[in-house]
Amino acid sequence: MRKTVAILLVLLLSIAGVYAGGSSESADSDVYKIGFIGPLTGDNANYGIRCSNAARLAIDKINAAGGVGGKTLELIAEDSEGTVDKAIAGYEKLVYSDNVVAIIGPVFTSPALAVAQRAMEDEIVMISPSATHKDVTAQARNNADGKNYVFRTVPSDALQAEVASYYFYQVLGYRKLATLYAMNDYSQGLAEGLESTFTSLGGEIVSSQTCMVGDKDFRTQLSQIKSASPEAVYIPDYTVEIAQILEQGAQLDVGPFLSSDGFSDPMVYQLAGDFTDGVVYIGPAQAEASTILTDFQAAYREAYNGDEADSFATNSYDAVNILAAAIERAGSGDRTLVRDEVAATKDFQGANGVMNFAENGDLVASQGVYHVEGTTPVYVGSFQVQNGQIVQVD
Amino acid sequence: MLNFFQLILIYSGVYAMMAIGQNCITGYTGMLSLCHAGFFCIGSYATAIMCKTMGLSFWLSLPVAAIAAGIIGFLIGVPTLRLKGDYLCIATLGLGEIIRNVATNINPVGYNSIPRVTLFGYQFASRNKLAFIVLIWVFVLIFYLLFQRLAHSRIGRAMTAVREDEVAAASNGINVTAYKIISFVLGAAVGGVAGCFQTAYTLTVQPASYTFMVSVMVLCTVVLGGMGNGKAVILGAFIIQFISYFPQLTGLTNVIPAQAKQIIFGLILVVMMIWRPQGLLGRDKFRYGDPRTFSERVSDTFRRKGKGGAV
Amino acid sequence: MNTLSLYLQYIVNGITLGAIYSLIALGYTMVYGILKFINFAHGDILMVGAFTGLLVYQGLAGAAEPGAWTLLAFFIAMIISMALCAVLGVFIERVAYKPLRNANRLAPLLSAIGVSFILSNGAAWIFGTTSRRFPYPFENEPIHLGGITITPHQILVVIVSIIMMVLLAFFVNKTRMGKAMRATSLDQNTSALMGINVNRVISLTFAIGSALAAVGGMLASFDFRVYPSMGTMTGLKAFVAAVIGGIGNIQGAMIGGVLLGILEAVGAPLLHIPNGMRDTVAFAVLIIILLVKPEGILGKNEREKV
Repeated sequence: MRKTVAILLVLLLSIAGVYAGGSSESADSDVYKIGFIGPLTGDNANYGIRCSNAARLAIDKINAAGGVGGKTLELIAEDSEGTVDKAIAGYEKLVYSDNVVAIIGPVFTSPALAVAQRAMEDEIVMISPSATHKDVTAQARNNADGKNYVFRTVPSDALQAEVASYYFYQVLGYRKLATLYAMNDYSQGLAEGLESTFTSLGGEIVSSQTCMVGDKDFRTQLSQIKSASPEAVYIPDYTVEIAQILEQGAQLDVGPFLSSDGFSDPMVYQLAGDFTDGVVYIGPAQAEASTILTDFQAAYREAYNGDEADSFATNSYDAVNILAAAIERAGSGDRTLVRDEVAATKDFQGANGVMNFAENGDLVASQGVYHVEGTTPVYVGSFQVQNGQIVQVD
Repeated sequence: MLNFFQLILIYSGVYAMMAIGQNCITGYTGMLSLCHAGFFCIGSYATAIMCKTMGLSFWLSLPVAAIAAGIIGFLIGVPTLRLKGDYLCIATLGLGEIIRNVATNINPVGYNSIPRVTLFGYQFASRNKLAFIVLIWVFVLIFYLLFQRLAHSRIGRAMTAVREDEVAAASNGINVTAYKIISFVLGAAVGGVAGCFQTAYTLTVQPASYTFMVSVMVLCTVVLGGMGNGKAVILGAFIIQFISYFPQLTGLTNVIPAQAKQIIFGLILVVMMIWRPQGLLGRDKFRYGDPRTFSERVSDTFRRKGKGGAV
Repeated sequence: MNTLSLYLQYIVNGITLGAIYSLIALGYTMVYGILKFINFAHGDILMVGAFTGLLVYQGLAGAAEPGAWTLLAFFIAMIISMALCAVLGVFIERVAYKPLRNANRLAPLLSAIGVSFILSNGAAWIFGTTSRRFPYPFENEPIHLGGITITPHQILVVIVSIIMMVLLAFFVNKTRMGKAMRATSLDQNTSALMGINVNRVISLTFAIGSALAAVGGMLASFDFRVYPSMGTMTGLKAFVAAVIGGIGNIQGAMIGGVLLGILEAVGAPLLHIPNGMRDTVAFAVLIIILLVKPEGILGKNEREKV
């Protein structure tokens, strides 16, 4: 008896589900739907939430200013939980049920790799705000029409690590570095990039330590680094790990520390306090004499109860604005037209400075260098590597 | 909408395979194992490495994945299966974490752009979900029938005896350790094959996917459906995936908070365990031996539990 | 820095980490001793304890300079957090585990997993998923002893842990209620026949275990930060510690915790493998210990009854 009831209940739920969903599918012709895929729950949810918040902020701003070509934008955010199978599910829902024009995300590399392959297949634009691995934009060659549908508003690991190596070697004059990085695509990509470039310049990596994302205790690694006595320690990690490493490093007398754009999250100053003093990090470049970034940061702070925008949020904000501009130029929600316009983006003035896309969808931009004084990052300038020399571009 | 329902069918097919494996270990032989994510991981990697790095066929990777997961199951099973109950649970939990930790340390990115499955010239594109549904559910059906057959064979009866009472089984001439290992290795092998199909669909393998939570979900699948009941665990797989993707299916993702589905899932687990601790369908009735006394025994235990639940 | 002081440093770090594991492991071990089931929600109670402690501490101390008042505020926050978690633990037991006391062994395990989902995701919903820093209630200047470095918060963690464990050992071994607890863990039915209120003993066990988890959560916050999923992995490790020491055994939980902490700190460098593999080392040792001595270091070897 109970068995029958249970089965009936399940069937009823399924049918109800299918119908409830069916009704929400009515085509809204005066709305451009934009999909977002990122972790909204789970251990790394704060990165996904920041990205989706920033995307929503961008869309609200655009809609308040009259929308795109008379139509409003709508953001539909799907939770990836940071895993491939959930990201694919989100993608399926956005592309086939919601019929979105384009996708912002996924936030992390592995889901981005999986979704990128599908986006190429289905010919829909995907702009990742934060997947830095070199392979993410490597799939252009596979497509039938030879067009690339995958873009990102974050520089690839290789670019950032190159600028970092040259800056540390040529400007700061370091010869012996240690690295402490987490075993994930982002940290490992940067650390290995730095290790190979820095050594090729003539520098030496005296200690290369690993940890896992979510580790809390770095004293073992820091003690090992200390016994190798490097001139500085490069920590290309996520905010929480960076804060922990800075604090435990200070307690064990290890330092000074160098970091990556993971450091650009203002939360690090709350988590690590004064231990951030003296850190040098490579982050997004800022266009001189432009208030786009500061305006965005202020708007974000106001919209989300004082939460601070980090580079994830900034990149996501730029991604939506680039996309909106492309839809405006395309004049319709046609996925291929929108793709052509995104690819044609030229000298876009974003919160990250002047942005262009390379043919494979990679971001072409300078890298900013910041020196932290106390708990305030001081912008040094934006840099590029030209003919084996680090050059300040503005 | 219908499209998304198809996706749920694909995912629940993969979970159903894992659940069939877990059911063999936990439902038939009564061993509490928590490392199906590890076997799943081994299977996924087998397909990824063989198809992408070595350029071999997906179909060849199926037996290799089954054998590889089986061998790992055997290697870990031989020493640990003499542990009882919760100790086995913890040892297998440790194993699952070791597999993931090692995989992450070898390469945290995993594999991507894995070649698609082809069969007689037909290519299974991820876009064509109907083909995948057929492909995966054909294998679910095969495994279901095989394990159903197994459960009612001599081996299956021996496993049941081991579950009910190890000492009594041993004194009746059943080699307890051997049957435990057989059950563990078979369960592991099916878990590995499930990994192949997951990879065939997502075409990307990422070590971070194979967390402890996946093992827990597979165990929940088996217990929610009904332990030792082949049909029930497949139903369980469907229900678990249905709950997981309910917000996407109904288009509610933007309306309800992202955590809601996990909270609802937690509530369902608690309520289900209090309401029906034996799972939705309960244990399979046995059709051999002395059915009357046995079913009496079964129904008696259930009746007692039912009353216990009401207190 | 010579090798000896390097390893001494690892061990000091390991003991701090281990003290926290021990405190949390006590909760697992007490519940397992009496109900013979793994309370998977224990790690999430730790998280609730850490959040409560942090909010109360911030309310009391605000932005005050570290001093006597902040230290007092820290302990007040600890007591409030312990009380709240004790109530929460008892409530969870009543609602989610008590109806399952006679069900098959998997039912309470799954129910506990459900509770764990509800707590951690509920916290993520309410507090958001960003990590929060627990400010030190005192000046945390490192102390240098020869080649090794110790910080005051490490000393605090170890001292508070020892005090809690001594109090618990005294309670279990010397008081009437403790005796009832030990009796119940040996045989529930007989204890009931002897006039022990088994339900009260079980509630008390959950109350004490959860209160200890709250202390563990607050002490862990200095190094771990406070965030909704902080209890998951920490809880799992603490559980491993309980098993290594001999589950159901209070001294075993302490030894297991410290051993696991030291193992995590020393294991990878000793074996010359990357530090990212430290979990592999920890879990491999767990499996080896289970194989050599399945009942754990201090556990009693219980023969299965026919």
